[in-house]
Amino acid sequence: MPVKAKNSGTIPTVVSDARRQLYYELVSGASGLVLALFMWGHMVLVGSILTGERGFNWLAEMLEVYYIAQPTVVVILVLFLVHAALASRKIPAQLAERRRMIELGKGLAHAGRDRPATASAISPLQAHVESRLWIWQVRTGMVVLVLGSFHVILLGIDVLTPLFGERPGIEALTSVARVKAGLWLPYAILLLCVEFHASVGLYRLAVKWGVGRHFSRRALHIIERVLLWFFLGLGVVVLLVLADVLSPPLAFLLTGPAT
Amino acid sequence: MTKKESGKARRLRFEIFRYNPEDPESEPHMQAFEIDEAPYMSLYIALNQIRETLDPSLQFDFACRSAICGSCGMMVNGRPTLGCRTLTSDLPEVVRLHPLPVFKLIGDLSVDTGTWFREMVEKSEAWIHAKEAFDPQAKEARMDDDLAQAIYEGERCIECGCCVASCGVANVNQNFAGPAGLNRIARFMMDPRDQRSDAEWFEVVSNSDGVFGCLGMMACHDVCPKELPLLEVYAYLRRKTLVAAFAGRS
Repeated sequence: MPVKAKNSGTIPTVVSDARRQLYYELVSGASGLVLALFMWGHMVLVGSILTGERGFNWLAEMLEVYYIAQPTVVVILVLFLVHAALASRKIPAQLAERRRMIELGKGLAHAGRDRPATASAISPLQAHVESRLWIWQVRTGMVVLVLGSFHVILLGIDVLTPLFGERPGIEALTSVARVKAGLWLPYAILLLCVEFHASVGLYRLAVKWGVGRHFSRRALHIIERVLLWFFLGLGVVVLLVLADVLSPPLAFLLTGPAT
Repeated sequence: MTKKESGKARRLRFEIFRYNPEDPESEPHMQAFEIDEAPYMSLYIALNQIRETLDPSLQFDFACRSAICGSCGMMVNGRPTLGCRTLTSDLPEVVRLHPLPVFKLIGDLSVDTGTWFREMVEKSEAWIHAKEAFDPQAKEARMDDDLAQAIYEGERCIECGCCVASCGVANVNQNFAGPAGLNRIARFMMDPRDQRSDAEWFEVVSNSDGVFGCLGMMACHDVCPKELPLLEVYAYLRRKTLVAAFAGRS
């Protein structure tokens, strides 16, 4: 809000609280959107392991030679922390408040469970799951904050330093060795949490800002479920290949006369 | 389970929250009552039957019994809804009844929603703010039909408090405008007769006690007995904050 200074017309004051709150809301939503889209793109890129080590190495090298991977690691880490800081401002601070929300969400989800087949369309007792989904979004977000930080820092070191493997950068050999050595467990947990958090988060974002005027909420919910299961499925297969349990199912794409 | 069985009436078990804050002897507890289900029995009928035949001290509110007065909001198996329009045939054999949270408890299932709604109306000054003095001789300004309909949608709120009770934020933040409050604010923002500017509204809406307090849990929309388009209301308010903040500012 502008205020009158003594002799010099109006000067702008510090950003008003309302404007700051709007910025927080926009940045937390936008960073979530970018991170979710990045995650899915990332999953497709990591999916190159399905064609075998050669495809994976080639792609990793391309992204590093053209300096795409290095700045991305830094930008994603920053976005990740910004999103964590801003999104967490909505989590109630007191344990009693969280308990109340959990209890409420549980009640709302269970009330619809006993809904008999005879219930009419106007029955007020349909299932409601979104309150519970929000609580799980907070929980998965916490897990992602811990395991995701670990992963981004680990891969940051891999991309920027020659500490892992023979050169700076991601190589299939070291990635497989790492996952096989035991990282498959935190990665499996991270995968589940990230995919849940991202798809439910985007669904909520779309409803919040009114995309629901063009798509029904039911349609958005279905899109959310499809994205969740697709990337979860893809992630599991990728993880199995990286853990050396499954041989690359798309390896035939790169076999042939080429050297 | 709850499937309608031909012929044989079910025996319903009501577990009802009992507490009288006026009585120092009273301790909050659950009390069970059993009655036979009758065809087309609503919670309104069931509770009256319990009061008439089993316990005359049971407190609950009903007035219109047709989902208009908004006094019979209660938690039915963990979900807020109107007692008068909830049929027992839509419920399992065991029905747990609690008073609506957030609001001040009067006793048993009866709560004081009026004080909460009055505070909300006073805080958001939910009445028409006109700049010019009212001229009773002048013709009423015309209003676009779609807009009139949209305003009427918001006006359909019966202030039963179900949305507020279902809202995780309203349950833990006393200052949050709440679903009904945001709906009321949007109704006056839409109204061209109200001459408060976008900038003025921006200060009211754009904060964590306004629309940005909303977590998007969507329970309010799902439980509203009048099926108000609450999610659209919040999206409208969010978009209006963008307009207020960025329009005409280059």
